Amino acid sequence: MDALFYYIPALASVRDFFELGGNVLFLIAGVLVFMWTLIFERFFFYSVKYPKIVKSSIDYWNSRTDRKSWHAHQIRERLVSVAGQELDRNVPMIQTAVALCPLLGLLGTVTGMIKVFETMAVSGSGNVRNMAAGVSFATVPTMAGMVAALSGVALSAYFLNRANRERELLADHITLDH
Amino acid sequence: MKKLLITAVAVATGFIGYHAPVVQAATAIDVDQLLRQVQQGRTRDSDINRQRIERFRAERAQQANLLQQAKNDKLAEENRSKALDRLFETNDGEIIELEQAVQDRLGDLKELFGVIQQVAGDARANFDISMTQAQFPERSVFMTELAQKVGQTNRLASVQDIEQLWFEIYREMVETGKVTKFTTELIDTDGSLAPAEVTRVGVFNAVSDGQFLYYNEDAKKLQVLSRQPAGRYLSKVGAVETSTSGLEPFPLDPSRGTLLSNLVRSPTLAEKFHQGKEVGYIIVTIGAIGVLLAIWRLIVLMGVSGAVSRQAKNLDKPGNNPLGRVLKVYHDNPSADVETLELKLSEAIIKETPKLNKLIPILKIIAVVAPLMGLLGTVTGMIQTFQQITLHGTGDPKLMAGGISTALVTTVLGLTVAIPMVFLHTIVSSRAKRVSQVLNEQASGMVAERAEATG
Repeated sequence: MDALFYYIPALASVRDFFELGGNVLFLIAGVLVFMWTLIFERFFFYSVKYPKIVKSSIDYWNSRTDRKSWHAHQIRERLVSVAGQELDRNVPMIQTAVALCPLLGLLGTVTGMIKVFETMAVSGSGNVRNMAAGVSFATVPTMAGMVAALSGVALSAYFLNRANRERELLADHITLDH
Repeated sequence: MKKLLITAVAVATGFIGYHAPVVQAATAIDVDQLLRQVQQGRTRDSDINRQRIERFRAERAQQANLLQQAKNDKLAEENRSKALDRLFETNDGEIIELEQAVQDRLGDLKELFGVIQQVAGDARANFDISMTQAQFPERSVFMTELAQKVGQTNRLASVQDIEQLWFEIYREMVETGKVTKFTTELIDTDGSLAPAEVTRVGVFNAVSDGQFLYYNEDAKKLQVLSRQPAGRYLSKVGAVETSTSGLEPFPLDPSRGTLLSNLVRSPTLAEKFHQGKEVGYIIVTIGAIGVLLAIWRLIVLMGVSGAVSRQAKNLDKPGNNPLGRVLKVYHDNPSADVETLELKLSEAIIKETPKLNKLIPILKIIAVVAPLMGLLGTVTGMIQTFQQITLHGTGDPKLMAGGISTALVTTVLGLTVAIPMVFLHTIVSSRAKRVSQVLNEQASGMVAERAEATG
């Protein structure tokens, strides 16, 4: 492990960053990794899997002769809904992860503040150098939480819009005979 | 004369008698007797006088002798005094000369002793707070004696003492750069004493049995730190303890244990939790209830959604699940017209959906309320702290800081409850939403498909 840190200084700086910010950073990192896993999964789904679903839905619809009756309406609605469910999968979880990151940052802030005041309670307000650890515990997770949230906030909005748009597009493609 | 005397006696007796008639008989003095008495007295006085005169005459010759003797004595004493004065003066001079000689001879030594005293004092102060003190406890006695010895004028430090001082300081210097193992009495975390093998790394750290020690200056013994540093430091301690030669990585505390001892002061997680008091307990209880609810709903919904997806693949046999119950409407009314069927289906769907969304809003409420309760605890804690400040003034920042850090604990608890609750709420509600979507948007489609298949 130490050899790894020795030969890859960047890793050592990552470790130092984690030590600077305290344990809350591990939680934020966990949420971040989870969020980006879902984001990549969504990209993969939209670019690879979803076109196949659209194709099979449209093929199934075009193979039908009746596209007018109540039954046809219901079946079309079902087709759009099944595709829509696939589109919506994991999007709420991405949104939740985006919302959780600042909360975790706040958690780090409060624990850091507790540390600052504990230091003050032990060694008085004169010892600013001892408080520095607590202050870094308080500020680094806040920043990390904000950055983590910002990295996902645009994408979560994009996926939400895209899911709605794709759903409407599919509904347009599955044409009814009036 | 005689007549007068008698008269006087008579008057006297009368006077006495007049005053004290009881004594009258006794004081009736015989005149002849009085006369005898006077005569006897006169003869006795003349006898004494005569004797005195004789004595004076006898002594007159002696007095001259005595005077001469006294004069001689005085002269002798005066002579002795002069001799002593001279002796005193010579001695005084001699003392000054000798002192001068001592000073001359001491010369550099005097400075040396001053330096030795100072160095011995400094070294002892350094030794008292040094890790090596546990290994060489006997040296502090020697140091104290040496400092006293050098401080007094009538004792001199011997060459051995000075060499011993030099040796002790040099040994401390050498030990600073050594990693040694020795056995000593160790104070355990519960305060018990037990002999143990200790590995000392210079004067910086000591470890025993994979744990860091610090030197307790009051007990003059090494003591196990009640809170140990992070695991990645402790994992390297064993290597240093077991190896006998070569190089080993070792986490060193260059502040000679100050950083490590600061670890002990920070309260543990459990202590912090109990600082939250009643509000903290309420928050944690609500959080536990919320988690249990979420898990229960999750299990139920997983069962339901599994059953629904199995049902969607098998439309012929409506089972006892939400989708099955909706499909059953069609199975019961196969010949009904489209409008009636649609109404009946909507009715069935509306009946199913509330069961799916049961208790989910409560999860949301807990996720929102927990941080608010934490804030409440923090604010009340702050109010208490500021009341203390009102009473005692801001003279002691420690008092205030302790109160504030305690007050903040409830906010932490509120957040630690809220974060998992938000997460669980998302999981549970998205599951429920999927099942209700299947019912709302797909059930009628399934019925239509089924109707077309049966024709």
